[in-house]
Amino acid sequence: MAPLDDTLTGLAAEGASGALRVGRMGTLFLTGGRVTYGECVTAVRLEDLLVAAGRGSRAALRRAIQGEGPGLVEQGVVSRGELQYCALLVTMDAAFFLLPAATGRPKFVPGERHWLSPQWYFEVTGLLRECRRRRAALEQAWPSAEFDGRPVVPAARLPGHHVVLSALQWEILTRADGQATPLELARRLGRPAFTVLLAVRRMAAEGLLDRPPDGEGRAALPRRPRTGGPPPPPPTGHTDLAVLLRLRKALEELA
Amino acid sequence: MLGLDDFVTEVMAIPGALDALIVDHNSGMPVASGGLGPGLEHSAAALSETLRAAMEGLATSAGGTVRIADMIVVSDRGYHLFRPLETRFDGPLVVYVHLDLERSNLALARHRLESIAARLDA
Repeated sequence: MAPLDDTLTGLAAEGASGALRVGRMGTLFLTGGRVTYGECVTAVRLEDLLVAAGRGSRAALRRAIQGEGPGLVEQGVVSRGELQYCALLVTMDAAFFLLPAATGRPKFVPGERHWLSPQWYFEVTGLLRECRRRRAALEQAWPSAEFDGRPVVPAARLPGHHVVLSALQWEILTRADGQATPLELARRLGRPAFTVLLAVRRMAAEGLLDRPPDGEGRAALPRRPRTGGPPPPPPTGHTDLAVLLRLRKALEELA
Repeated sequence: MLGLDDFVTEVMAIPGALDALIVDHNSGMPVASGGLGPGLEHSAAALSETLRAAMEGLATSAGGTVRIADMIVVSDRGYHLFRPLETRFDGPLVVYVHLDLERSNLALARHRLESIAARLDA
C-alpha cells in the first residue's frame, strides 16, 4: 500500500480538517476526515471543465477564487448539482494521480481550506477503493502504459472495416494533433484525465492508434549508435505512470 | 434546483422504487445511491457497461449515432430503468432505478424521472 493511503486513512480516523500537500504534485483537502477537494498538476482542473463547457470566463472564476462577490452558483455560472459534479470529477481525478505519485513526505497543514467551500464529501475508504478500481479498469482495457504518455496518433487505416466509437473517443480523435498526449487532451477537452486515459487505452486495444515506435517494428529501422547505459526497462502499468508523473513534474520545474 | 444528493432521494420517492443509483458513465463510478447495499462499485460499473453495450449494439445495427433517452429492462425481479442525463461537463450521468414489478407504474416512473432530471440543471 502506498504511504499516502496510510496517511489519509490516519487523517480520516482523526476526523482531520486541512490540506494534505504532496510535494509540488498537488493537494488533497479534508473536512472532518472526509476528502472535499483535490488538485493535481496532472489531473483536470475546475477551470478546464468550466472553460471547455463554455461556462464562465476565467474572470468570473478569479472573482470566485478571491472570494469577492457572489460564488459560482450565485453568479449563475453553474447550478448546484453541476458544481457538485465538477468538484467530484476534479477531486477524484486528482486523488487518482496523487496517491501513487507520492514521493517524499506528504505534509499536512491543519485548518487550511480550499477557496471552494466543500461541495462533495468522499469517505477515504471509498476514495481509495475507487482509485484501485480505476487502476484495474485501465489494466483491463490495455495492460500497458505505453500509450499514456505519448502523443495520441490515430492509425491511418482501420485494422478492420467498421468501428464503433464513444462520444469521448470521437472528441479525442478529432482533437488529436499528433503532438498532444492524453493528459494534455484531457485539459483541452475539459474531461477528467482518467476517463481520457481509459478511452485511449480502449482505442489502443482495438488497434485504432499508431503503436509507439519502440515496439517490435523498431528493428527494421536504422539505429543510432548507442551511447552506453542499460536498455530502458520494459513498460509496466503502475511504475510507468509514476515515472511519467515525475517526468512531467521535472519538465514543469524546468519551464 | 436539485443537488446530486437530493436527486437520489427524489428518485427513491417514485412509487415502487427499490434501489436507485447515479453513475458517472465515463468512469463507471457511483456518485450517489439509495437502497443498494455493499458492492456498490461493482453495481455501478456493471450498469454502466450494460448501457455502453446497448449503445454499441444499436450503433452497429442501426448505423450512425445513437442517443438513448431511456432504456428499460424487464426482468423477473422488476423493471430496470436507465436514463442518461447529459451534462455540460464530462458525463453523461446515468440514473438507474430498480422498480418493483407489482407496485410500480412504468409510465409514471418514466415521467417522474424525466421531470426530476429537468430540475437538476434548471
